[in-house]
Amino acid sequence: MLRDLVFASLLVIIILALTYLTYSGGLGDLPPRDVRVIASNYLNLTYNQGITWLWAASPEAVTAIVWDYRGLDTLFETVVFYGAILAALTLFRSVSKVPEFVSSAGLSLVVKRVTAIVTLAILAVAASTALHGHLTPGGGFQGGAIASVAPLLLLVVFGKQFFIERRISYSKLLTIRNASLALLGFTSVALLILGFLTGFQAYIFQNQAKTVSTLSYPPYLLDVPLGGSLFFFNLFEFLAVASGFTLVFTILLSRDETLRKELEGEELGY
Amino acid sequence: MDIELIKFMFMLTTISLYFNVAISLYGVVSKTNLVKKLIALTIFQDTVNMFTILIGYKLWRPGLLLQPPVLTDLSPTSETLREFVERSVDPLPQAFVLTAVVIGLAVTLFLTTIILHVSYHFKTVNVDEIGRSKRVYIHEEAV
Amino acid sequence: MMDYVDLVFLIMGISALSSVLFTFLTVKTKDLMYAVVFSSVQSVAYALIYFLLLAPDIVLVYVAVSVGIYPLIVILLVKKVGRYEVVT
Repeated sequence: MLRDLVFASLLVIIILALTYLTYSGGLGDLPPRDVRVIASNYLNLTYNQGITWLWAASPEAVTAIVWDYRGLDTLFETVVFYGAILAALTLFRSVSKVPEFVSSAGLSLVVKRVTAIVTLAILAVAASTALHGHLTPGGGFQGGAIASVAPLLLLVVFGKQFFIERRISYSKLLTIRNASLALLGFTSVALLILGFLTGFQAYIFQNQAKTVSTLSYPPYLLDVPLGGSLFFFNLFEFLAVASGFTLVFTILLSRDETLRKELEGEELGY
Repeated sequence: MDIELIKFMFMLTTISLYFNVAISLYGVVSKTNLVKKLIALTIFQDTVNMFTILIGYKLWRPGLLLQPPVLTDLSPTSETLREFVERSVDPLPQAFVLTAVVIGLAVTLFLTTIILHVSYHFKTVNVDEIGRSKRVYIHEEAV
Repeated sequence: MMDYVDLVFLIMGISALSSVLFTFLTVKTKDLMYAVVFSSVQSVAYALIYFLLLAPDIVLVYVAVSVGIYPLIVILLVKKVGRYEVVT
């Protein structure tokens, strides 16, 4: 246990040094007096109707940064998300093909009815969070994370049988996830393709019209701000996150015997 | 409002987060159970995200009312916009942390499946025992 | 005289201190089920701090992920791999 002791004392020394440095003003004023220049630029431009060649048409600055000003960052983070879910599914790839014949009754009737009501409420909150993401705090990531609590509850309370009876199969969820990710990619290059076809100039990840490229997503729907591509990005990200997490949950909540089948034949060289 | 109290409490929050980083790193490195390592790792991840949010905060001053970076007026004049820029906190760290939390969950689910595989394969999740059994196996191979 | 801004920062400091306490308990306990519960209490303290730092977007995603999904998944994992940490 000497190793642990050395490591713990090293951590204590580092913490004390950091505490002393922070207390004596090593990080400057805490909290700082004002935000950085780049932040005030974003805040000023996000819904500035006077400068429509630089705006994002969204009164919510966080969503505007996530999907417009720094949209490429988020696109590649979505790729990381795709890869992580794919890796988790690959480790248990044979489980999806094994049908579970043992039906579980789930929990008691009271719990089932309460869960049914709560699930509807969760889905409604998730949808409103995702679809209003360009107006109020929220967006695709938040909506997807909230929505994926609902299938988790259903799997625990009703059992996996519930999903099979309602024909919510593995391959359908996989199709929803792949289709929404493909549409996400398509939304980012849609104006570019339109520009090629019509002879105008456009950028990848273009949302609103710029000075040299006049193509644009619609900034308003009737008289409500739509945020241009932000609405579509939020919608597709919502579907991708919710269906991706649901896929992993259906795998992880399988029965123990089904999961062990994955390791069959490993003693013959795995 | 008491500026000194505000500064002290903010510094207290920062220093508590240093302690959280230290404790969770200790848990990741020196605990032998893989599930315990996973729990400590999620705490570490959340604490680092919290540091990022702390960067974007700014000081309350008399006559200044802070607000989240959401514009509530749908037809803003230049006066409204100036007030919004003055009052709002930094939206950039929030945008980074937002994606980091969801991707962190996806990576954690991947780690969960790996730990399940390890537990089925070795019948234990204790890294010391796993190391010992592998050493025995290598010794048998060599003989 | 205390007004609500002081109260906001007092609650922030107290939540940060309690999160240190619960992190310590999480790492110290030998029962993994207790560790999950302590870690989700610590997540509640963090969610409160996020809310007080004026980040409603993060609160929406953090509450769902850290208080809803993490504990359920880790409890499931604990049920499959065994509840107690074996000391060697």
